[in-house]
Amino acid sequence: MDRQADDKRVFFTNEEWDRLARHLIGNSTRYRENIIIPRMMGPVKIKTKEEKMVEAAFESCAFKTVMSCVLGYGLGAAIGLFSASVNPSVPVGDTKQPSAREVLRDMKGTMVSYAKNFALVGAVFSAVECTIESYRGKSDWRNGTYAGGVTGGIIGLRAGIKAGIFGAAGFAAFSTLIDYYMHS
Amino acid sequence: MAGMPPLDSSKLQLVQELEIEMMSDMYNRMTSACHKKCIPPKYKDAELGKGESVCLDRCIAKYLDIHERIGKKLTQLSMQDEDLMKKLQAEQQPKV
Repeated sequence: MDRQADDKRVFFTNEEWDRLARHLIGNSTRYRENIIIPRMMGPVKIKTKEEKMVEAAFESCAFKTVMSCVLGYGLGAAIGLFSASVNPSVPVGDTKQPSAREVLRDMKGTMVSYAKNFALVGAVFSAVECTIESYRGKSDWRNGTYAGGVTGGIIGLRAGIKAGIFGAAGFAAFSTLIDYYMHS
Repeated sequence: MAGMPPLDSSKLQLVQELEIEMMSDMYNRMTSACHKKCIPPKYKDAELGKGESVCLDRCIAKYLDIHERIGKKLTQLSMQDEDLMKKLQAEQQPKV
């Protein structure tokens, strides 16, 4: 920077320094709106407040839980359809053949039951993992393991303590394996 | 929360340059410190994960808070030193 008034020196008294320092350092007086953050390549892009709010909403724990729930429902429906087709439930004792409508209604029942289960598991896992990650402040492999443990424990507790412990361990191992395969 | 002391244009330019230097220095230090603290060195993913974003939020908030407090404390100490020096000088004057 070239200074025209280079030969004229500027002196500050100590009181001026102190007042300046308190004015410059203390953030309580000024709110800087247009903060320009320099970039190496490309034009400077400053996100507007609305853009930041939208991005925050898409990355929030609640949205992730809802997405997991919906995707779990879809996946559960697909798996339920497959399972119903390879595992037909024949009503006991009836000699007459079930009509097509009844078969389809059966399949739909199986699909919905699978879908609900998967949706619940997905939502709980996603919510727990997001909460744990937000609390820890780190993104490593242990978040998936802990979340899997909690989810397996919750599901297994419906059938007793021992089933809960085994469910927790199993689901934690499963979750760690899936994470390892997806991120390696 | 004092306002700026009354300054003429040459001093004002110096103050502006000083402020830009201060701000950019603080920005560089803050980004390097929080990067070292929150982002593990092995990059597996291009995006910032949720844990890393949360950690960065907290790191920046702490850094700015501490920066403000230490700055105010330092100026307070320097003002106390200044008052002490003035008192000593005032005491010495009548002796001469």
